[in-house]
Amino acid sequence: MRISTGELKRTRAERKGRILLTGGTGFLGSHLAAGLLRSGYKISLLARPLKQGRADERVEKLLDWFGIEPGLRKNLQIVEGTIEKPGLGLSGEALSDCLENTTELIHCASNTGFAERKRPEIEAANIGGLLNVLDFASRSRCAFFHHLSTAYAAGRREGLCREELVDTDDFTNVYEETKARGERLVSDHCRTAGIRLNIYRPSIVYGDSRTGRSLLFNALYYPVKTTVFLKNLYEADILERGGRKAAMMGVRRESDGSLYLPIRFEVESAEGINLIPVDYFVAAFTAILEESLEGGIFHIVNARSTTMGDLIDYTRRLFNIRGIEPCRPEDFGARPRNALEILFNNYLEAYGPYMRDKRTFVMDNARGILARRRIACPEFDFEVFSRCMNYAVEVDWGARLYGGV
Amino acid sequence: MCKIDYLGTGLCPSGPKRHFVAYYPQGRMDIYDALAGELIPVTEGLLDIADTCTLCGICDRQCHFYTGMRPMTVMRALKDYVASWRKEGGRAAATAEDEVLKELRKIVGREWATSDPAILVTYANDPFPLTGMRMPGYVVLPGSRRDVESIIKLANDRALPFAIRGNGGSVFGFVFTEGIVLDMNRMRKMEIDPDNWSADVEPGVTSFDLQREAYRRGLRVNAAEPAATVCGNIVCTGTFSTWSNVYGTAADNFIDMEFVDRSGRAFHLNDKSIVNHFGFERNVLPSPGVCTRAVVKLHPVTDDEEGVLVPFADFDEAVRFARNLSQRRIGLAVAVLGAHYIANFMSPSKELAARLKQSLPDVLGCSYMVFAVGDRYAREAIKRMAGAVIDQRLFRMLMLGLPRLLDPKWVDLIREYEGTMRPYELLCKSEMRPLLEAVLEPSAETIAGAVDEDLRSFYTGLYERPEMTDMVWLNMFRIVSSRMSREKHMLAFLVYVPLDHIDVIKGINEEFKRIADAEGLDNDYGFLTPMDFGKRAILEYDYYIDQTDPAEAEKIARVMGKIEPWLDALAAKTRGVQWLKYVFSQGCSRKENFLYESFQPLRSGGAGR
Repeated sequence: MRISTGELKRTRAERKGRILLTGGTGFLGSHLAAGLLRSGYKISLLARPLKQGRADERVEKLLDWFGIEPGLRKNLQIVEGTIEKPGLGLSGEALSDCLENTTELIHCASNTGFAERKRPEIEAANIGGLLNVLDFASRSRCAFFHHLSTAYAAGRREGLCREELVDTDDFTNVYEETKARGERLVSDHCRTAGIRLNIYRPSIVYGDSRTGRSLLFNALYYPVKTTVFLKNLYEADILERGGRKAAMMGVRRESDGSLYLPIRFEVESAEGINLIPVDYFVAAFTAILEESLEGGIFHIVNARSTTMGDLIDYTRRLFNIRGIEPCRPEDFGARPRNALEILFNNYLEAYGPYMRDKRTFVMDNARGILARRRIACPEFDFEVFSRCMNYAVEVDWGARLYGGV
Repeated sequence: MCKIDYLGTGLCPSGPKRHFVAYYPQGRMDIYDALAGELIPVTEGLLDIADTCTLCGICDRQCHFYTGMRPMTVMRALKDYVASWRKEGGRAAATAEDEVLKELRKIVGREWATSDPAILVTYANDPFPLTGMRMPGYVVLPGSRRDVESIIKLANDRALPFAIRGNGGSVFGFVFTEGIVLDMNRMRKMEIDPDNWSADVEPGVTSFDLQREAYRRGLRVNAAEPAATVCGNIVCTGTFSTWSNVYGTAADNFIDMEFVDRSGRAFHLNDKSIVNHFGFERNVLPSPGVCTRAVVKLHPVTDDEEGVLVPFADFDEAVRFARNLSQRRIGLAVAVLGAHYIANFMSPSKELAARLKQSLPDVLGCSYMVFAVGDRYAREAIKRMAGAVIDQRLFRMLMLGLPRLLDPKWVDLIREYEGTMRPYELLCKSEMRPLLEAVLEPSAETIAGAVDEDLRSFYTGLYERPEMTDMVWLNMFRIVSSRMSREKHMLAFLVYVPLDHIDVIKGINEEFKRIADAEGLDNDYGFLTPMDFGKRAILEYDYYIDQTDPAEAEKIARVMGKIEPWLDALAAKTRGVQWLKYVFSQGCSRKENFLYESFQPLRSGGAGR
């Protein structure tokens, strides 16, 4: 190993080292950056320049959104680069500085797309990008690699999934496949280079359970966002244009003011979706980072899944919608799917395996650390759902977050 | 484009009366530019040109449709300038009538020949960046073949060079001279002979005018861009379009043509005693002469023709599909279009076009579309062959609802869609139509919402007309093709290619892109149309330049220095590759003579082997 446990402890305790964070402008990466800065760590944040703005401008906006105090910002160094290029796209002094001063590396950058048609870009980020980061880590003084993976690297299976590398070729989608391949790559690479390694495997992460705030509105949010879009669309049609198009779809306004949207969701069983809030993710990640000095693989998941029935019920209640009903697959035989159902059905074909998940993620490695730190996953109840979705609506599903980062 | 009534608004009133380019909005823009640059004095002709502008606003509507520009500002400025000039007691410069002008006027009549600088300047320039301004000595508008013969004889007697402008316009920088410009705009006779499946046209007849006449009679012609003259386009390029898939190109388009040669003598191409103009020589050659008449082919139309678009994520797949259609004789017009073309064809404003161009691949997952026109049997076959199809009804819905299709909320929803189907596959499903109808609210008002407020009622009226969203009509009349130069002037490179070698086609696209990118020139794939049962195709790749920027002209000069040797070398070693540069002015030749090789040394040992 490049560093002894004792030295690692000392460096951490004295906050002497510098952590290079990839994906730091993304949803999880930015929350981690904010959390680690608040814990006094020194962070180098790798960020791409985009057409929406220079890297430093985007990061500043993020820091404002997180409310990071000016005093803490001095511990943050913004490095304009990209994992898509060898050497992270750095050269000259910037490269030497990063190689010389990076003592730990948190790799969050990733493409979370599922669709097979996006395979080239997903592979480019999750494999090609990872290899660039690993190569950089080997050349640098990095002694600890923190790799953000996913619980779903376990692949398509049922039953217990342990905190160990998986050996399967059976995956639900290209995302799972590349994340599993990535775990093996990072494991082999760090072993050879003498770099300590933690692999973090969260399940599906939503906004902050305490405030409802979030930076990203996909995954759990997408079907709710779609439902709200349709609700607004047909309400406007009914109220402003006579409701002809609503009537064509069987959409109507009920006497109690609710909107009837005829959408049947296929629900096969009582299994559900494993959801964790981002505040729990950050707390768990930080605890594991600080306590697992020898390295390991850690599930960061919810012990209790949320069923599709719960999600449908929460959506109906919060947005005053009727007509959205769970149903069995055979029910579609009697009445074919309408346009709204086709839209959702195609989405569910991609997300269905996560909404009807039969995997149980064992937390043997993580449980002890989280228990010692008294970190528990909040329940995803109607109150948390409402908080998160109200925030999403308030910021127009991200459009009004901060003028676009 | 301001010389044809392509929107049914009528024409600039002075143009059809006076015929000179100077009396159309295009000419007045050039004149104002020349005045501002102090290139011309205020002449008697200029005063008449300014006075005959009624500020009716037709030019604003016509020009905005395809360029997004509002020429009325210039028209007003010209009239204001003249008014102030008169107020200040200005005296117009008179143009002396020299011997040549006297002779020309004797041939065509006094009003149809001039040497007034205000009129000459409108024939002195074009957007092609590599040719500078060349003021002609005279502009003459012949009224008949005899006039043309006499003018050419006069030019020869006086040793004056001459150049022909079919409809007064020019884009390639070829038709300039210090001598006499012959503008054929007055020779606009046209006779349709349905029994002979032909139209007899004079050289001032535009593609739009002929197509309109043919269309009225339930017929169709393989037409060029609407403002291009039929004769001029055949002579120059052989006329190709998406319909060339079935109608062919070059000599396929006509039955006979009449020319006046450089000695002033008339001849017909079908005359067996003349030089064989149906042959092709891989060289830059002059045209057979001045075309004074053509008998062009007309084609039957069935009452169930409609257009379809088949979206593809990938160029190879799209090309294979188009080739498959052509080989199987399915459909009439066929082309592989890129996002840039589709976006500009569909969008009434350049802002909307830019957003659509980006959204097609990024949001809908569709980078190319195969466009086809077919009868109901062909369309049925296409639907069976393709995974997803945009039929006429859906196309109309998408076009009229375009601003809402690109609404940020809807775009976000589609962009984040992670379903197993590509977004365009989902939207093409017939079951999705009611939802699309609600989202897009397709109507003439919706699409008109994308243009300047004061033009909205005009655009609403325009898009209420069914033909404005009819893929067949739009493709026959090609009025939206001109939008390709809306952002910047388009320089089109056309190459005949072997359709069974996609690697060659992709290589050509990549090299065009590489050369342009190296110079920082905007560039994009244009279109590809199969020809001759899918054996060959015509490929267009476009460069976009600001013709008013000298730096861009320098870049074009440099890229031309790279493109010419590269394409020549490629054509020499690759069967089926033929650059249009060599077909130019040999448009009367048989396509077989430039698409295929002629006699090759026989390799077999003898008969029967």
